[in-house]
Amino acid sequence: MNKLILISLLVGYSMALFAQGPPITTETPIMLGLDGSGIRTFGKYISKKNTNIYVQPIGIPYNITPKFQVGGTFPFKFVTPNGAETTGGLSDIAIFTKYQLYKKDGTAKTFRVLAHIKQSFPTGKTSSLPMIGSGIYQTYVGLIIGKISSVIGIYGDFGYNITSNNASDNFLYNFSIGVPLLPQKYPQRQINTFLEFNGNYLIAPKEHTFLISPGLQFIPGRRILFETSFQVPIVQNNITTNKINYMILLGTRFLFN
Amino acid sequence: MKTKFRHTHILSLIFSILIIGFSTSLNAQTESEPERIYIKIEIKGMACPYCSFGMVQELKKVVGVGNVEIEFKEGLAFISTPMYQNPTKESLEKIITEAGFTVGEIEFSDKPFKRTKSKKKK
Repeated sequence: MNKLILISLLVGYSMALFAQGPPITTETPIMLGLDGSGIRTFGKYISKKNTNIYVQPIGIPYNITPKFQVGGTFPFKFVTPNGAETTGGLSDIAIFTKYQLYKKDGTAKTFRVLAHIKQSFPTGKTSSLPMIGSGIYQTYVGLIIGKISSVIGIYGDFGYNITSNNASDNFLYNFSIGVPLLPQKYPQRQINTFLEFNGNYLIAPKEHTFLISPGLQFIPGRRILFETSFQVPIVQNNITTNKINYMILLGTRFLFN
Repeated sequence: MKTKFRHTHILSLIFSILIIGFSTSLNAQTESEPERIYIKIEIKGMACPYCSFGMVQELKKVVGVGNVEIEFKEGLAFISTPMYQNPTKESLEKIITEAGFTVGEIEFSDKPFKRTKSKKKK
């Protein structure tokens, strides 16, 4: 059960990997220019009742066209059960695609909708205890929606995750509001603050996790940004063992070209 | 008489060298600063400065474009390029569209456009 919750959470977090700008734990519908040549990585520390987990995913997106992006994620995971040794290694890798379905641009504002499909493979080690991989194939199908202006960004993504081997499917949803703290100008020197919510609903058995995630993002130049987010569960329905205490994310994004 | 002639000769030689040098310098200046055409592009969808980076990079690839200046909140980009490059509206529209934005009006001028705020060099 805990395994499923963890898998679902990881899927949710890794879905936020390829944003070419804000927000932090929610997907963005912006995949502009940059020839898709960027890398995002972050370290996430997950404190649970009986386990501590460190996840370091590396995401590499590539824009085939301005409307069509493909990419891959390579997560490294280290699990330390209470009173036991750490087990770690490459977890489940995934490939994904995003396609822009709708775009309405105005002066210093935009509204965009993307389709998002992601396929995860059971590449992570499952022979050890605790397991590093999920041992199952997962297919996620969802939508990414965002309305962004120079004063506020409102983002949302939601989708259904289909699992193999009789594991529970789940519904994932994220919502984010981002506000710049410095005047928006170009070239950018930005500090952005976010209030995000991350939800995960397992279908069978019915389990619901809902996190509140305040975050901060610093963009010192044109090619790099730093971001941090603190996530606390406000709902953990029907989860009896190994509940999440909190999570801390510290990440960076590099842009090439 | 002979000395006077020699002095005159030397002076005229120096004068000639100065004239040649000056005209060469003028030519060099003319060559390095050809007539430029100034372009104002209305770009819709520039919602975050971070997003504009890719588009600015693409505009800089237009031959002869040095600086790309962005008025972010007004959704405007300003570039200039040598007149002989003859950039077309269609080629600029293609760059903006392929960068993921929507292009509005494009204006060409032989003089720099009036800016609504201080210039920010890229």
